[in-house]
Amino acid sequence: MMLREGLANRILLWAITIAGLLVIYAPPLYLLAISFNPALQPGLPNISELSLKWYASLPQETALIGALEQSLIIATATAVLATLMSLLAALAYFELRSRRTAWLLTVILPMFVPGVIQGLALSAVFARTGIKASMLTVIAGHLLWAMPFAFIVILTSFAAVRRSYLVAAADLGADWWHRFFDIILPLIRPGLISAFIFSFLLSLNEFTRAFYLAGRQNTLPVVLFGKMNSGASPVIYAMSGAIFLISVLCVALIALRFLWQGRAGNSARSSG
Amino acid sequence: MSRARLPISSMLMAPPLLAILAFGLAPLIVVVVWSFWSWDPVTYWIKPDLSLAGYAGILEAGRWTVIVSTLIKAFGTALLCLLIAYPTSYAIHFLAGRRLNVILMALITIPFFTSYLIRSFSWRLVLGRTGIINEWLQGIGIIDAPLDWLLFSNFAVIVGLVASYLPFAIFPLLLSMRRVDPTFLAAAQDLGAGFWKSLTTILLPLTKSGIFAGFLFVFVMVVGSSTEVQMLGGAGASIVSVMINDVMRVANYPMAFAISTIVLVVIFGLVLVGNRIFGLASLFEDQSP
Repeated sequence: MMLREGLANRILLWAITIAGLLVIYAPPLYLLAISFNPALQPGLPNISELSLKWYASLPQETALIGALEQSLIIATATAVLATLMSLLAALAYFELRSRRTAWLLTVILPMFVPGVIQGLALSAVFARTGIKASMLTVIAGHLLWAMPFAFIVILTSFAAVRRSYLVAAADLGADWWHRFFDIILPLIRPGLISAFIFSFLLSLNEFTRAFYLAGRQNTLPVVLFGKMNSGASPVIYAMSGAIFLISVLCVALIALRFLWQGRAGNSARSSG
Repeated sequence: MSRARLPISSMLMAPPLLAILAFGLAPLIVVVVWSFWSWDPVTYWIKPDLSLAGYAGILEAGRWTVIVSTLIKAFGTALLCLLIAYPTSYAIHFLAGRRLNVILMALITIPFFTSYLIRSFSWRLVLGRTGIINEWLQGIGIIDAPLDWLLFSNFAVIVGLVASYLPFAIFPLLLSMRRVDPTFLAAAQDLGAGFWKSLTTILLPLTKSGIFAGFLFVFVMVVGSSTEVQMLGGAGASIVSVMINDVMRVANYPMAFAISTIVLVVIFGLVLVGNRIFGLASLFEDQSP
Protein backbone atom coordinates (compact mmCIF):
# COMPACT_ATOMS: atom_id res chain seq x y z
CA MET A 1 0.00 0.00 0.00
CA MET A 2 1.30 3.43 -0.91
CA LEU A 3 0.84 6.06 1.75
CA ARG A 4 0.09 9.67 0.94
CA GLU A 5 2.97 11.85 2.08
CA GLY A 6 3.78 15.51 1.78
CA LEU A 7 6.10 16.32 -1.07
CA ALA A 8 8.92 17.56 1.17
CA ASN A 9 8.83 14.41 3.31
CA ARG A 10 8.71 12.22 0.25
CA ILE A 11 11.72 13.95 -1.28
CA LEU A 12 13.63 13.61 1.98
CA LEU A 13 12.81 9.92 2.28
CA TRP A 14 13.78 9.13 -1.30
CA ALA A 15 16.95 11.24 -1.02
CA ILE A 16 18.12 9.19 1.97
CA THR A 17 17.19 5.99 0.16
CA ILE A 18 19.19 6.98 -2.89
CA ALA A 19 22.11 8.02 -0.68
CA GLY A 20 22.03 4.61 0.99
CA LEU A 21 21.98 2.81 -2.35
CA LEU A 22 24.84 4.99 -3.60
CA VAL A 23 26.95 4.12 -0.56
CA ILE A 24 26.35 0.44 -1.25
CA TYR A 25 26.69 0.36 -5.03
CA ALA A 26 28.92 3.24 -6.18
CA PRO A 27 32.28 1.72 -5.16
CA PRO A 28 31.72 -1.78 -6.63
CA LEU A 29 30.43 -0.22 -9.85
CA TYR A 30 33.47 2.07 -9.91
CA LEU A 31 35.71 -0.96 -9.52
CA LEU A 32 33.77 -2.68 -12.29
CA ALA A 33 34.35 0.31 -14.57
CA ILE A 34 38.05 0.32 -13.73
CA SER A 35 38.29 -3.34 -14.72
CA PHE A 36 37.58 -2.30 -18.33
CA ASN A 37 40.49 0.14 -18.39
CA PRO A 38 43.48 -1.38 -20.23
CA ALA A 39 45.97 0.89 -18.43
CA LEU A 40 48.03 -0.43 -15.54
CA GLN A 41 47.01 2.39 -13.20
CA PRO A 42 43.42 2.24 -11.91
CA GLY A 43 41.16 4.94 -13.27
CA LEU A 44 37.97 5.40 -15.23
CA PRO A 45 38.46 4.49 -18.89
CA ASN A 46 37.34 6.70 -21.76
CA ILE A 47 34.59 5.18 -23.88
CA SER A 48 37.03 4.68 -26.74
CA GLU A 49 39.44 2.87 -24.45
CA LEU A 50 37.07 0.20 -23.16
CA SER A 51 38.84 -3.13 -23.18
CA LEU A 52 38.39 -6.71 -22.02
CA LYS A 53 42.15 -7.05 -21.74
CA TRP A 54 42.24 -8.00 -18.07
CA TYR A 55 39.28 -10.34 -18.38
CA ALA A 56 40.95 -12.09 -21.30
CA SER A 57 44.08 -12.68 -19.23
CA LEU A 58 42.15 -14.24 -16.33
CA PRO A 59 42.48 -17.84 -17.59
CA GLN A 60 46.26 -17.55 -17.40
CA GLU A 61 46.19 -16.60 -13.72
CA THR A 62 46.64 -20.15 -12.46
CA ALA A 63 46.58 -19.23 -8.76
CA LEU A 64 43.32 -17.33 -9.13
CA ILE A 65 41.69 -19.99 -11.30
CA GLY A 66 42.78 -22.75 -8.94
CA ALA A 67 41.36 -20.84 -6.01
CA LEU A 68 38.15 -20.23 -7.95
CA GLU A 69 37.77 -23.97 -8.56
CA GLN A 70 38.22 -24.64 -4.85
CA SER A 71 35.66 -21.98 -4.01
CA LEU A 72 33.13 -23.31 -6.52
CA ILE A 73 33.39 -26.84 -5.14
CA ILE A 74 33.09 -25.64 -1.55
CA ALA A 75 30.21 -23.31 -2.45
CA THR A 76 28.28 -26.08 -4.20
CA ALA A 77 28.69 -28.48 -1.29
CA THR A 78 27.77 -25.75 1.18
CA ALA A 79 24.67 -24.85 -0.82
CA VAL A 80 23.45 -28.45 -1.00
CA LEU A 81 23.98 -29.12 2.69
CA ALA A 82 22.65 -25.75 3.83
CA THR A 83 19.50 -26.09 1.75
CA LEU A 84 18.82 -29.63 2.97
CA MET A 85 19.50 -28.78 6.60
CA SER A 86 17.43 -25.62 6.41
CA LEU A 87 14.55 -27.46 4.76
CA LEU A 88 14.53 -29.95 7.64
CA ALA A 89 14.77 -27.12 10.15
CA ALA A 90 11.90 -25.24 8.51
CA LEU A 91 9.76 -28.39 8.36
CA ALA A 92 10.48 -29.02 12.03
CA TYR A 93 9.48 -25.44 12.81
CA PHE A 94 6.28 -25.93 10.83
CA GLU A 95 5.46 -29.15 12.71
CA LEU A 96 6.31 -27.83 16.16
CA ARG A 97 3.53 -26.46 18.30
CA SER A 98 5.44 -25.40 21.38
CA ARG A 99 9.02 -24.18 21.72
CA ARG A 100 8.94 -22.74 18.20
CA THR A 101 10.70 -19.59 19.28
CA ALA A 102 13.47 -21.56 20.97
CA TRP A 103 13.99 -23.61 17.82
CA LEU A 104 14.02 -20.54 15.60
CA LEU A 105 16.60 -18.81 17.80
CA THR A 106 18.70 -21.97 17.87
CA VAL A 107 18.87 -22.09 14.08
CA ILE A 108 19.68 -18.41 13.55
CA LEU A 109 22.11 -18.05 16.47
CA PRO A 110 25.15 -19.07 14.37
CA MET A 111 24.49 -15.88 12.42
CA PHE A 112 25.52 -13.92 15.51
CA VAL A 113 28.90 -15.57 16.01
CA PRO A 114 31.61 -13.40 14.45
CA GLY A 115 33.36 -15.18 11.62
CA VAL A 116 36.81 -14.83 13.15
CA ILE A 117 35.68 -16.46 16.40
CA GLN A 118 33.81 -19.25 14.65
CA GLY A 119 36.76 -19.89 12.35
CA LEU A 120 39.20 -19.86 15.27
CA ALA A 121 37.04 -22.13 17.42
CA LEU A 122 36.42 -24.67 14.68
CA SER A 123 40.05 -24.75 13.54
CA ALA A 124 41.28 -25.19 17.12
CA VAL A 125 38.87 -28.04 17.77
CA PHE A 126 39.63 -29.70 14.44
CA ALA A 127 43.37 -29.43 15.05
CA ARG A 128 43.01 -30.83 18.57
CA THR A 129 40.96 -33.81 17.40
CA GLY A 130 43.42 -34.55 14.62
CA ILE A 131 41.20 -33.46 11.73
CA LYS A 132 43.40 -31.90 9.08
CA ALA A 133 42.39 -28.66 7.41
CA SER A 134 40.79 -29.36 4.05
CA MET A 135 37.80 -28.50 1.93
CA LEU A 136 35.65 -30.34 4.45
CA THR A 137 36.66 -28.07 7.31
CA VAL A 138 35.92 -25.00 5.20
CA ILE A 139 32.53 -26.44 4.25
CA ALA A 140 31.74 -26.94 7.94
CA GLY A 141 32.41 -23.27 8.66
CA HIS A 142 30.53 -22.02 5.62
CA LEU A 143 27.58 -24.31 6.36
CA LEU A 144 27.03 -22.66 9.71
CA TRP A 145 27.24 -19.23 8.10
CA ALA A 146 24.80 -20.03 5.28
CA MET A 147 22.23 -22.08 7.20
CA PRO A 148 20.49 -19.22 9.06
CA PHE A 149 19.96 -17.28 5.83
CA ALA A 150 18.70 -20.32 3.95
CA PHE A 151 16.41 -21.15 6.88
CA ILE A 152 14.86 -17.67 6.87
CA VAL A 153 14.33 -17.78 3.11
CA ILE A 154 12.66 -21.20 3.22
CA LEU A 155 10.59 -20.25 6.25
CA THR A 156 9.33 -17.20 4.38
CA SER A 157 8.22 -19.39 1.49
CA PHE A 158 6.20 -21.51 3.92
CA ALA A 159 3.71 -18.65 3.94
CA ALA A 160 2.34 -20.28 0.78
CA VAL A 161 1.56 -23.51 2.65
CA ARG A 162 -1.90 -23.31 4.19
CA ARG A 163 -2.67 -25.77 6.93
CA SER A 164 -6.14 -26.26 5.48
CA TYR A 165 -4.53 -27.89 2.43
CA LEU A 166 -2.72 -30.36 4.67
CA VAL A 167 -5.74 -31.05 6.85
CA ALA A 168 -7.84 -31.78 3.78
CA ALA A 169 -5.17 -34.10 2.40
CA ALA A 170 -4.91 -35.91 5.72
CA ASP A 171 -8.70 -36.34 5.81
CA LEU A 172 -8.45 -37.93 2.38
CA GLY A 173 -5.93 -40.45 3.65
CA ALA A 174 -2.58 -38.93 2.65
CA ASP A 175 0.25 -39.74 5.05
CA TRP A 176 3.01 -37.31 6.01
CA TRP A 177 5.26 -38.22 3.08
CA HIS A 178 2.54 -37.74 0.50
CA ARG A 179 1.59 -34.39 2.03
CA PHE A 180 5.23 -33.35 1.93
CA PHE A 181 5.97 -34.37 -1.66
CA ASP A 182 2.63 -33.46 -3.21
CA ILE A 183 1.75 -30.27 -1.35
CA ILE A 184 4.56 -28.73 0.67
CA LEU A 185 7.44 -29.31 -1.72
CA PRO A 186 5.83 -27.73 -4.82
CA LEU A 187 4.69 -24.73 -2.82
CA ILE A 188 8.06 -23.97 -1.27
CA ARG A 189 10.16 -24.79 -4.33
CA PRO A 190 10.90 -21.09 -5.07
CA GLY A 191 12.20 -20.77 -1.52
CA LEU A 192 14.42 -23.81 -1.95
CA ILE A 193 15.90 -22.46 -5.18
CA SER A 194 16.53 -19.08 -3.57
CA ALA A 195 18.04 -20.72 -0.48
CA PHE A 196 20.39 -22.76 -2.66
CA ILE A 197 21.59 -19.78 -4.69
CA PHE A 198 21.95 -17.57 -1.63
CA SER A 199 23.94 -20.24 0.23
CA PHE A 200 26.17 -20.69 -2.80
CA LEU A 201 26.90 -16.97 -3.01
CA LEU A 202 27.45 -16.60 0.73
CA SER A 203 30.02 -19.39 0.63
CA LEU A 204 31.66 -18.18 -2.57
CA ASN A 205 32.24 -14.73 -1.07
CA GLU A 206 33.06 -15.75 2.50
CA PHE A 207 36.57 -14.79 3.58
CA THR A 208 36.98 -14.72 7.35
CA ARG A 209 35.93 -18.26 8.19
CA ALA A 210 37.87 -19.72 5.26
CA PHE A 211 40.98 -17.82 6.36
CA TYR A 212 41.15 -19.95 9.51
CA LEU A 213 39.74 -23.21 8.22
CA ALA A 214 41.55 -23.64 4.92
CA GLY A 215 44.70 -25.71 4.82
CA ARG A 216 46.91 -25.89 1.76
CA GLN A 217 43.88 -25.11 -0.37
CA ASN A 218 42.99 -21.48 -0.77
CA THR A 219 39.54 -20.18 -1.51
CA LEU A 220 39.22 -17.32 -3.95
CA PRO A 221 38.55 -14.60 -1.34
CA VAL A 222 41.67 -15.63 0.59
CA VAL A 223 43.83 -15.39 -2.54
CA LEU A 224 42.18 -12.12 -3.57
CA PHE A 225 42.82 -10.68 -0.12
CA GLY A 226 46.51 -11.46 -0.40
CA LYS A 227 46.76 -9.91 -3.84
CA MET A 228 44.74 -6.85 -2.86
CA ASN A 229 47.23 -6.08 -0.11
CA SER A 230 50.37 -6.55 -2.18
CA GLY A 231 50.12 -3.92 -4.89
CA ALA A 232 47.29 -5.32 -6.92
CA SER A 233 47.72 -6.05 -10.59
CA PRO A 234 44.76 -5.00 -12.75
CA VAL A 235 43.70 -8.64 -13.04
CA ILE A 236 42.31 -8.28 -9.50
CA TYR A 237 39.81 -5.76 -10.79
CA ALA A 238 38.64 -8.15 -13.50
CA MET A 239 38.25 -11.09 -11.12
CA SER A 240 36.49 -8.90 -8.55
CA GLY A 241 34.28 -7.45 -11.27
CA ALA A 242 33.41 -10.90 -12.57
CA ILE A 243 32.50 -12.22 -9.12
CA PHE A 244 30.43 -9.12 -8.43
CA LEU A 245 28.58 -9.41 -11.74
CA ILE A 246 27.83 -13.10 -11.26
CA SER A 247 26.49 -12.50 -7.76
CA VAL A 248 24.34 -9.61 -8.95
CA LEU A 249 22.96 -11.62 -11.87
CA CYS A 250 22.01 -14.55 -9.63
CA VAL A 251 20.01 -12.39 -7.25
CA ALA A 252 18.53 -10.37 -10.11
CA LEU A 253 17.25 -13.57 -11.73
CA ILE A 254 15.54 -14.54 -8.49
CA ALA A 255 13.96 -11.09 -8.27
CA LEU A 256 12.75 -11.32 -11.88
CA ARG A 257 11.25 -14.71 -11.18
CA PHE A 258 9.50 -13.22 -8.17
CA LEU A 259 8.11 -10.40 -10.32
CA TRP A 260 6.89 -12.85 -12.95
CA GLN A 261 5.41 -15.16 -10.34
CA GLY A 262 3.61 -12.24 -8.75
CA ARG A 263 2.05 -11.28 -12.07
CA ALA A 264 1.01 -14.87 -12.80
CA GLY A 265 -0.47 -15.10 -9.32
CA ASN A 266 -2.48 -11.94 -9.88
CA SER A 267 -3.90 -13.14 -13.19
CA ALA A 268 -4.81 -16.51 -11.67
CA ARG A 269 -6.50 -14.79 -8.77
CA SER A 270 -8.48 -12.43 -11.00
CA SER A 271 -9.67 -15.25 -13.25
CA GLY A 272 -10.78 -17.34 -10.24
CA MET B 1 -2.22 -37.25 16.50
CA SER B 2 -0.02 -35.41 18.98
CA ARG B 3 1.97 -38.57 19.65
CA ALA B 4 2.58 -39.06 15.91
CA ARG B 5 3.56 -35.42 15.52
CA LEU B 6 6.39 -35.49 18.03
CA PRO B 7 8.55 -38.09 16.25
CA ILE B 8 8.17 -36.18 12.98
CA SER B 9 9.41 -32.87 14.35
CA SER B 10 12.14 -34.59 16.35
CA MET B 11 13.37 -36.48 13.32
CA LEU B 12 13.31 -33.28 11.27
CA MET B 13 15.20 -31.36 13.92
CA ALA B 14 17.95 -33.93 14.42
CA PRO B 15 20.24 -33.26 11.40
CA PRO B 16 20.28 -29.44 11.57
CA LEU B 17 20.49 -29.54 15.36
CA LEU B 18 23.42 -31.93 15.15
CA ALA B 19 25.18 -29.65 12.67
CA ILE B 20 24.60 -26.61 14.87
CA LEU B 21 25.79 -28.41 17.99
CA ALA B 22 28.82 -30.06 16.41
CA PHE B 23 30.11 -27.16 14.33
CA GLY B 24 28.66 -24.24 16.26
CA LEU B 25 27.95 -24.71 19.93
CA ALA B 26 30.49 -27.37 20.90
CA PRO B 27 33.53 -25.52 19.52
CA LEU B 28 32.42 -22.32 21.26
CA ILE B 29 32.01 -24.10 24.60
CA VAL B 30 35.41 -25.69 24.15
CA VAL B 31 36.90 -22.27 23.43
CA VAL B 32 35.39 -20.83 26.60
CA VAL B 33 36.78 -23.71 28.66
CA TRP B 34 40.16 -23.49 26.99
CA SER B 35 40.36 -19.78 27.71
CA PHE B 36 40.92 -20.75 31.36
CA TRP B 37 43.73 -23.20 30.63
CA SER B 38 47.45 -22.54 30.78
CA TRP B 39 49.88 -22.16 27.96
CA ASP B 40 52.32 -25.06 27.72
CA PRO B 41 55.56 -24.06 25.94
CA VAL B 42 56.65 -27.71 25.80
CA THR B 43 53.82 -28.93 23.59
CA TYR B 44 53.13 -25.52 22.06
CA TRP B 45 49.51 -25.91 23.12
CA ILE B 46 47.53 -25.53 26.32
CA LYS B 47 47.17 -27.80 29.34
CA PRO B 48 44.29 -28.17 31.81
CA ASP B 49 45.75 -26.09 34.62
CA LEU B 50 43.33 -23.40 35.69
CA SER B 51 44.72 -20.01 34.79
CA LEU B 52 43.54 -16.48 34.14
CA ALA B 53 46.68 -15.60 32.18
CA GLY B 54 44.69 -15.21 28.99
CA TYR B 55 42.37 -12.70 30.61
CA ALA B 56 45.18 -10.94 32.46
CA GLY B 57 47.00 -10.51 29.18
CA ILE B 58 44.05 -8.57 27.82
CA LEU B 59 44.55 -5.94 30.51
CA GLU B 60 48.10 -5.15 29.43
CA ALA B 61 49.57 -3.57 26.31
CA GLY B 62 46.33 -1.79 25.53
CA ARG B 63 44.44 -4.83 24.31
CA TRP B 64 41.36 -3.98 26.30
CA THR B 65 41.24 -0.60 24.58
CA VAL B 66 40.92 -2.41 21.25
CA ILE B 67 37.90 -4.29 22.59
CA VAL B 68 36.35 -1.08 23.88
CA SER B 69 37.04 0.82 20.68
CA THR B 70 35.61 -2.07 18.67
CA LEU B 71 32.39 -1.95 20.67
CA ILE B 72 32.22 1.83 20.23
CA LYS B 73 32.83 1.46 16.49
CA ALA B 74 30.13 -1.17 16.32
CA PHE B 75 27.69 0.97 18.27
CA GLY B 76 28.35 4.05 16.14
CA THR B 77 28.14 2.18 12.86
CA ALA B 78 24.90 0.49 13.92
CA LEU B 79 23.35 3.87 14.77
CA LEU B 80 24.49 5.38 11.48
CA CYS B 81 23.10 2.41 9.57
CA LEU B 82 19.75 2.72 11.35
CA LEU B 83 19.53 6.42 10.53
CA ILE B 84 19.89 5.59 6.84
CA ALA B 85 18.01 2.28 6.94
CA TYR B 86 14.80 3.49 8.58
CA PRO B 87 13.89 6.11 5.94
CA THR B 88 15.04 3.72 3.24
CA SER B 89 12.80 0.93 4.54
CA TYR B 90 9.90 3.35 4.88
CA ALA B 91 10.32 4.52 1.27
CA ILE B 92 10.61 0.98 -0.05
CA HIS B 93 7.61 -0.35 1.82
CA PHE B 94 5.18 2.58 2.00
CA LEU B 95 6.08 4.89 -0.88
CA ALA B 96 7.14 2.58 -3.70
CA GLY B 97 4.67 0.98 -6.09
CA ARG B 98 4.77 -2.76 -6.55
CA ARG B 99 7.26 -2.95 -9.40
CA LEU B 100 9.62 -0.42 -7.86
CA ASN B 101 9.25 -2.22 -4.54
CA VAL B 102 10.51 -5.49 -6.03
CA ILE B 103 13.38 -3.74 -7.80
CA LEU B 104 14.43 -2.01 -4.59
CA MET B 105 14.07 -5.26 -2.64
CA ALA B 106 16.42 -6.90 -5.13
CA LEU B 107 18.86 -4.01 -4.81
CA ILE B 108 18.84 -4.38 -1.02
CA THR B 109 19.21 -8.16 -1.22
CA ILE B 110 22.13 -8.24 -3.65
CA PRO B 111 24.78 -6.89 -1.23
CA PHE B 112 24.20 -9.76 1.21
CA PHE B 113 25.53 -12.13 -1.40
CA THR B 114 28.36 -10.13 -2.88
CA SER B 115 31.78 -10.00 -1.35
CA TYR B 116 32.45 -7.57 1.46
CA LEU B 117 36.11 -8.03 0.57
CA ILE B 118 35.48 -6.65 -2.91
CA ARG B 119 33.38 -3.85 -1.50
CA SER B 120 36.10 -2.80 0.95
CA PHE B 121 38.66 -2.97 -1.83
CA SER B 122 36.53 -0.79 -4.09
CA TRP B 123 36.18 1.83 -1.34
CA ARG B 124 39.96 1.96 -1.26
CA LEU B 125 39.92 2.86 -4.95
CA VAL B 126 37.22 5.49 -4.45
CA LEU B 127 38.78 7.21 -1.44
CA GLY B 128 42.46 7.07 -2.47
CA ARG B 129 44.67 10.00 -3.46
CA THR B 130 44.06 9.20 -7.11
CA GLY B 131 40.52 8.05 -6.46
CA ILE B 132 37.42 9.52 -8.02
CA ILE B 133 36.46 11.70 -5.05
CA ASN B 134 39.84 13.42 -4.78
CA GLU B 135 40.05 13.83 -8.54
CA TRP B 136 36.55 15.26 -8.69
CA LEU B 137 37.17 17.71 -5.86
CA GLN B 138 40.41 18.87 -7.47
CA GLY B 139 38.71 19.03 -10.85
CA ILE B 140 36.09 21.52 -9.66
CA GLY B 141 38.72 23.50 -7.77
CA ILE B 142 37.57 22.93 -4.21
CA ILE B 143 40.93 21.50 -3.15
CA ASP B 144 44.47 21.94 -4.51
CA ALA B 145 45.95 18.70 -3.18
CA PRO B 146 44.39 15.30 -2.45
CA LEU B 147 42.78 14.88 0.96
CA ASP B 148 44.82 12.29 2.80
CA TRP B 149 42.30 11.76 5.58
CA LEU B 150 39.81 10.23 3.17
CA LEU B 151 41.69 6.92 3.13
CA PHE B 152 43.59 4.87 5.72
CA SER B 153 41.68 6.68 8.43
CA ASN B 154 38.84 6.19 10.87
CA PHE B 155 36.62 8.00 8.38
CA ALA B 156 37.36 5.40 5.71
CA VAL B 157 36.76 2.56 8.15
CA ILE B 158 33.36 3.88 9.21
CA VAL B 159 32.34 4.50 5.60
CA GLY B 160 33.44 0.99 4.64
CA LEU B 161 31.57 -0.55 7.57
CA VAL B 162 28.36 1.35 6.81
CA ALA B 163 28.57 0.37 3.15
CA SER B 164 29.12 -3.28 4.02
CA TYR B 165 26.44 -3.69 6.67
CA LEU B 166 23.67 -1.24 5.76
CA PRO B 167 21.58 -4.05 4.17
CA PHE B 168 21.69 -5.91 7.49
CA ALA B 169 19.85 -2.98 9.04
CA ILE B 170 17.36 -2.52 6.20
CA PHE B 171 16.23 -6.14 5.99
CA PRO B 172 14.77 -6.59 9.51
CA LEU B 173 13.22 -3.12 9.35
CA LEU B 174 11.41 -4.11 6.16
CA LEU B 175 10.22 -7.29 7.83
CA SER B 176 8.81 -5.38 10.78
CA MET B 177 7.20 -2.70 8.60
CA ARG B 178 5.37 -5.39 6.67
CA ARG B 179 3.58 -6.26 9.88
CA VAL B 180 2.32 -2.73 10.41
CA ASP B 181 -1.28 -2.50 9.29
CA PRO B 182 -1.25 0.41 6.80
CA THR B 183 -4.79 1.32 7.80
CA PHE B 184 -3.38 2.49 11.14
CA LEU B 185 -1.29 5.09 9.36
CA ALA B 186 -4.05 6.00 6.92
CA ALA B 187 -6.46 6.47 9.83
CA ALA B 188 -3.94 8.70 11.59
CA GLN B 189 -3.64 10.81 8.46
CA ASP B 190 -7.42 11.07 8.15
CA LEU B 191 -7.57 12.25 11.74
CA GLY B 192 -5.13 15.03 10.96
CA ALA B 193 -1.87 13.63 12.34
CA GLY B 194 1.16 14.89 10.46
CA PHE B 195 4.04 12.76 9.25
CA TRP B 196 6.20 13.16 12.34
CA LYS B 197 3.30 12.57 14.72
CA SER B 198 2.39 9.33 12.94
CA LEU B 199 6.03 8.34 12.89
CA THR B 200 6.70 8.83 16.59
CA THR B 201 3.41 7.58 18.03
CA ILE B 202 2.53 4.72 15.67
CA LEU B 203 5.27 3.53 13.38
CA LEU B 204 8.31 3.66 15.65
CA PRO B 205 6.65 1.70 18.50
CA LEU B 206 5.29 -0.89 16.09
CA THR B 207 8.65 -1.43 14.42
CA LYS B 208 10.81 -1.55 17.54
CA SER B 209 11.65 -5.23 17.00
CA GLY B 210 12.96 -4.36 13.53
CA ILE B 211 14.95 -1.45 14.90
CA PHE B 212 16.62 -3.60 17.51
CA ALA B 213 17.23 -6.45 15.06
CA GLY B 214 18.82 -4.06 12.58
CA PHE B 215 21.00 -2.60 15.31
CA LEU B 216 21.97 -6.06 16.54
CA PHE B 217 22.82 -7.44 13.11
CA VAL B 218 25.07 -4.50 12.27
CA PHE B 219 26.62 -4.50 15.74
CA VAL B 220 27.51 -8.19 15.52
CA MET B 221 28.84 -7.90 11.98
CA VAL B 222 31.06 -4.93 12.86
CA VAL B 223 32.41 -6.61 16.00
CA GLY B 224 33.39 -9.60 13.89
CA SER B 225 34.60 -7.63 10.88
CA SER B 226 38.22 -7.45 9.80
CA THR B 227 38.49 -6.64 6.12
CA GLU B 228 37.21 -3.07 6.42
CA VAL B 229 39.88 -2.22 8.98
CA GLN B 230 42.61 -4.08 7.14
CA MET B 231 41.72 -2.53 3.79
CA LEU B 232 40.78 0.99 4.83
CA GLY B 233 42.27 1.62 8.26
CA GLY B 234 45.50 3.40 9.14
CA ALA B 235 48.73 1.63 10.02
CA GLY B 236 47.82 1.31 13.68
CA ALA B 237 44.13 0.62 13.22
CA SER B 238 42.82 -2.48 14.90
CA ILE B 239 39.59 -4.22 15.71
CA VAL B 240 38.88 -7.39 17.66
CA SER B 241 39.30 -9.67 14.65
CA VAL B 242 42.61 -8.11 13.68
CA MET B 243 43.79 -8.36 17.29
CA ILE B 244 42.86 -12.04 17.40
CA ASN B 245 44.79 -12.55 14.17
CA ASP B 246 47.82 -10.84 15.72
CA VAL B 247 47.55 -12.90 18.91
CA MET B 248 47.28 -16.11 16.91
CA ARG B 249 50.36 -15.18 14.92
CA VAL B 250 52.37 -15.92 18.07
CA ALA B 251 50.14 -18.91 18.88
CA ASN B 252 48.89 -17.35 22.11
CA TYR B 253 45.83 -19.57 22.28
CA PRO B 254 44.66 -18.72 25.81
CA MET B 255 44.52 -15.00 25.05
CA ALA B 256 42.80 -15.53 21.70
CA PHE B 257 40.24 -17.74 23.42
CA ALA B 258 39.80 -15.22 26.24
CA ILE B 259 39.16 -12.38 23.80
CA SER B 260 36.70 -14.57 21.92
CA THR B 261 34.90 -15.44 25.14
CA ILE B 262 34.48 -11.81 26.13
CA VAL B 263 33.13 -10.90 22.70
CA LEU B 264 30.74 -13.86 22.71
CA VAL B 265 29.40 -12.92 26.14
CA VAL B 266 28.70 -9.39 24.95
CA ILE B 267 26.98 -10.53 21.76
CA PHE B 268 24.91 -13.36 23.18
CA GLY B 269 23.96 -11.12 26.08
CA LEU B 270 22.64 -8.61 23.59
CA VAL B 271 20.76 -11.30 21.67
CA LEU B 272 19.07 -12.73 24.75
CA VAL B 273 18.21 -9.36 26.27
CA GLY B 274 17.01 -8.12 22.90
CA ASN B 275 14.78 -11.10 22.36
CA ARG B 276 13.31 -10.70 25.83
CA ILE B 277 12.62 -6.98 25.46
CA PHE B 278 12.00 -6.49 21.76
CA GLY B 279 10.78 -9.89 20.60
CA LEU B 280 13.57 -10.39 18.09
CA ALA B 281 12.30 -13.82 17.10
CA SER B 282 8.85 -12.45 16.29
CA LEU B 283 10.32 -10.84 13.19
CA PHE B 284 10.83 -14.20 11.56
CA GLU B 285 8.06 -16.23 13.10
CA ASP B 286 5.46 -17.96 11.03
CA GLN B 287 2.42 -15.92 10.13
CA SER B 288 0.67 -18.48 7.97
CA PRO B 289 -2.86 -19.48 8.99
